[in-house]
Amino acid sequence: MTEHDKGNSNYSRRDALRMMAIGGVAGLIAPNLLGKPAFAQTPPANPTGRIVVGLSQEPTSFNPLMVHNEVDEGVYFSIFDALFRIDPQGVIQPNLAVEVPSQENGGISQDGLAWRIRLRDDVRWHDGEPFTAEDVKYTLELIVNPDFRAWRTLGHALLRDITVVSPTEITWRMEEPFAPYMSFLTETFMVPKHILEKEADPNEAAFNQAPIGTGAFKWGQRIAGDHIELVANPDYFGDGPYIEQLVFKYIPDRTVLYTQFQSGDIDLVGLAYIAPDKYAEASALPDRTVELIPAPQFEFILLNMERPQFKELAVREALYAAMDRKMIIDAIYYGVAGLTETFMPQQSFYYNPDLPVQEFNLDRARKLLDDAGWVPGADGIRAKDGVRLAFANTTTAGDHLREQLQQFLQQTFAEIGVEMTISNLPPAVLWGDFWTYSRFDSAIAGTTYLVASDPDVTLRFHSKAIPSQTGGRGSNNSQYSNPEIDALLEEGARTFDPEKRREIYFKVQEIIRRDLPLLPLYARTLVYGRKAGIEGFVANTNTRTESWHAAGWYWA
Amino acid sequence: MTAFLLKRFMQSLVLLVIVSIIGFIVLNLIPGGPMAQYGLDPGMTQQDIARLEEQLGLNRPLWVQYFDWAWRLLQGDWGTSFRDGNPVLTVIGRHIFATLLLMGSSTVIAVAIGTWIGIRGATHRYSAFDYVATVGAMIALSIPTFWFGLIGIYVFALELGWLPAGNMYTIGDGSILNYLHHLIMPSVVLALVHIAIWSRFMRSSTLDAMNQEFVKTARAKGVSERRVIMKHVVGNALLPMITLAGVQLPSILTGALVTETVFTWPGMGRLFLDSLGYSDYPVVMGLLMFSAILTIAGNLIADIVVALVDPRIRLA
Amino acid sequence: MTALAAHLERSHWWQSRVVRRFLNHRLALPGLVMISLLTIACVVGPYLLPFDSLYIDLRARFSPPLTGQHFLGTDPLGRDIAARLLMAGRTSLLVGFFAMVLSVLVGTIVGVVAGYRGGWINAVLMRTVDGFLSFPSIFLLLALAAALKPSPAFITVIIAVTSWMEVARIVEAEVRSLREREFVLAGRMLGLRGAHIMFREILPNAVGPIIVAATLTVARAILMEAYISFLGYGIQPPLPSWGNMLNGAQQYLASAPWLAIIPGVAITIAVTSFNFIGDGLRDALDVRDDHV
Repeated sequence: MTEHDKGNSNYSRRDALRMMAIGGVAGLIAPNLLGKPAFAQTPPANPTGRIVVGLSQEPTSFNPLMVHNEVDEGVYFSIFDALFRIDPQGVIQPNLAVEVPSQENGGISQDGLAWRIRLRDDVRWHDGEPFTAEDVKYTLELIVNPDFRAWRTLGHALLRDITVVSPTEITWRMEEPFAPYMSFLTETFMVPKHILEKEADPNEAAFNQAPIGTGAFKWGQRIAGDHIELVANPDYFGDGPYIEQLVFKYIPDRTVLYTQFQSGDIDLVGLAYIAPDKYAEASALPDRTVELIPAPQFEFILLNMERPQFKELAVREALYAAMDRKMIIDAIYYGVAGLTETFMPQQSFYYNPDLPVQEFNLDRARKLLDDAGWVPGADGIRAKDGVRLAFANTTTAGDHLREQLQQFLQQTFAEIGVEMTISNLPPAVLWGDFWTYSRFDSAIAGTTYLVASDPDVTLRFHSKAIPSQTGGRGSNNSQYSNPEIDALLEEGARTFDPEKRREIYFKVQEIIRRDLPLLPLYARTLVYGRKAGIEGFVANTNTRTESWHAAGWYWA
Repeated sequence: MTAFLLKRFMQSLVLLVIVSIIGFIVLNLIPGGPMAQYGLDPGMTQQDIARLEEQLGLNRPLWVQYFDWAWRLLQGDWGTSFRDGNPVLTVIGRHIFATLLLMGSSTVIAVAIGTWIGIRGATHRYSAFDYVATVGAMIALSIPTFWFGLIGIYVFALELGWLPAGNMYTIGDGSILNYLHHLIMPSVVLALVHIAIWSRFMRSSTLDAMNQEFVKTARAKGVSERRVIMKHVVGNALLPMITLAGVQLPSILTGALVTETVFTWPGMGRLFLDSLGYSDYPVVMGLLMFSAILTIAGNLIADIVVALVDPRIRLA
Repeated sequence: MTALAAHLERSHWWQSRVVRRFLNHRLALPGLVMISLLTIACVVGPYLLPFDSLYIDLRARFSPPLTGQHFLGTDPLGRDIAARLLMAGRTSLLVGFFAMVLSVLVGTIVGVVAGYRGGWINAVLMRTVDGFLSFPSIFLLLALAAALKPSPAFITVIIAVTSWMEVARIVEAEVRSLREREFVLAGRMLGLRGAHIMFREILPNAVGPIIVAATLTVARAILMEAYISFLGYGIQPPLPSWGNMLNGAQQYLASAPWLAIIPGVAITIAVTSFNFIGDGLRDALDVRDDHV
């Protein structure tokens, strides 16, 4: 994070990616991370005050390498650092590393296999020990330790011969070229070797309950079921922190979360954010800043492509044409959502804006089905070759907005002779084997398809990523299979040049839009809210948390 | 007495085993399991999930998992929470205070109001007060607690703005007043049902006591009616209520569950629902055992007290 | 022949002591009237209303009650709440009724067998009852609702699974006290089969407490259905139930409070009525009120 070029306002994402591609100088000349306008208030000289972030789920896992949920990541970003970080524009910036390696600057070899990372020499752990390349090596090796309850191992498993060249330099070799790994490293937080190596079992380490990192905040205390308190780290190597205390408060209900924001008990609304139906009301609150932030997540109906009802493209097209998405967004989601034709977030560099736009047209839907030979039976439901055009739709029980959406779709589908039944399950059941092994007819889900903001979607669409088919490694739960897509995805993962990758993923989005293994409902928009007195807050939907850079927050 | 206690103790142990087996089976009957929460994580594949299941021993046959759990429990190891890696007893311990606070204050309210209504109802039998109290108790028992909580939030938090909509305290304000302010609505909502139950039982046990010989004697001796009621009747009427209190002991966990959920109270009931939602088996099993032990202890206490109070019942 | 029937046979049924005492009870009659009216409204009402309980009209969403053409207003999808309330009543009352039938059936069989056989059969059965009772019933409800497909039939079964124990306890105690009575001993000497004695001789004498427990079980079952459907684990949309009408109401508490108020009042009325009736029956049938 550098300070000396605050004025660089005619900056664009594409320029930055170019810069990054040509020599890894992005970290040196890119504007400061927050894009703070020059006239912004200046932060206090000493950390002062407290900011309470309200979360509707409870962070419970504090070792950033262990299996966890997205709600835990706000704590990680505040306590730990990764080698790189991804900024709000989607550009990868150095963090614990001094530069972003690329093929151009020699950090990554031309074949994409040999990597070299140079590290900062001025970073200390919260206990005063220096941070070195040994910690990086320890971290990367711990992730693939078979006894360690690690989170994602994707990418990490490809690393070989991790070598500490000097305290500030580390190299490794990759088993195969894997471009997304650079993005993955923005979510791989470094843990201290000198503390964890003493533990007999890192799964049960005391560290996991009172973590020590290099970040802007140190661990304070946790009142389980209620809140977590972090305190400023005065020796932080970057800018900030400007507040003395950062509190993550767990409020298990979104309505209560909002009420507490209204009453001023919490200063900033975190994960799960403000419900869409409260947006108008929240915007009118005095002394509060409420803004709409496009999220990387999108909501979609995933079709199980192995079900006989869905095998025919005409059926999928007809269903898509029968979805009145504008009405759904305007009425059920109070306009707080965006239309989308693809899984790629609109703010991504890889978003393809030229996809055909869906149109709500029941006549067209009926005609598509008529032409394909689906004829209405005695009960008004269409059928063809003994297959009734009837299916179940499943989503998480108790999500009342999705339940409204389901009932709305049920009514419009009935108008074109399609029977959709609702069969919802609790999340702990739905996202288990039922989802993984494609036991649903159709399901409504909301998630991002990108891992750490990288456009690679091999896990979602490659035919070798279908868990319900033998040898499938991934999460292609719709059981979509297309050799053309397979080839494109394999090429994309091997390609490091952003422009070339862009072409590839444009094509991927085009084919997915044509084949419709999923019917996009809308792109999620988050309603962020905070007290107007909070300065330095910047949203970054390339991460999964609002608290990705609490180091920059301060009270005006 | 010793023989009786020994027999009851053995029966209780058997009961605990039954409860743990049923609990374990039912819990594992739920498809999905503890790893389902990662099913939507964009970078986690089912290989990662299978690896984690193996590391946690979740892929072993059910009976192996059960005996492993039971064996550890016998050695005093209640297991470790999947969610936050803490020992189950620590996790439960962290939520006890909130629940005890809520249950405690609602019990005080329920006993105070319930006793008063009960005695007054009995002494003014068939009066308008008695009639209203009876009908009121019936209605109180019929109102869904979660709904009553919602209406309370609507009226007192959203419309009038007098009381907070939930939570135990405001961060940064640890004063007793702040706790009390947050405590009012949930404890009253929770107390409602208990007032109803307590007043009904208090009424009938007061009536029983009033028909006892010694009360009639006292009256005959010319002791004032007020004195008779306060000294002789109430004291005797309260004794059987200990039974009721004993039987209600397990509701420490379940009684507050709904209220804790509606008012986002950080107690054991909510811990239970959260843990069930995340399939955090060790914590759910721990809470089930905890609740079963309370049930058994409550029944045992009730039996002993009844035996001590009423010599006609032989313990055998 | 049941005990009730025996009572009734003595003269015209309306002259029987039980009926007279029931009718004289100050709560029972209002309870009976309320629940009858509610049932009739739920059965007939939907045919009289001009709206379909399932018809979605997003333009008409959130009409408050008593404004426009919707008497009780509309829900977030613009469906008529009055129509939904009555349809939901059918679901909730049916679930409550059949859950009662199931739990009384299971509870009675377990209670009679345990009470009559005694010995180790009694020990096993009654310890199982204790075991079920030591579970927080919400655990069994939610765990089973998650494990099974949430159809109305399964919800009924699940509620029954968590409510049969009370009946079993009452019947067991009753049967145990009847077991040594003369007419049972006489039956045994005549060489009647166990099942005959249990269900034809003893059971009719325990019918009073069973009827009372059954009434209270309906009340409890309606509350249970409401709670699990409120949490989203119960009756699935679009089929309305009083519980799932409340699902999501918390979200709209500030802007559309009637969504929460109306179904809750319906639940309270129905449950109160059953509790009133139960209380009246308890007095009319002379059932001792000594189990906690």
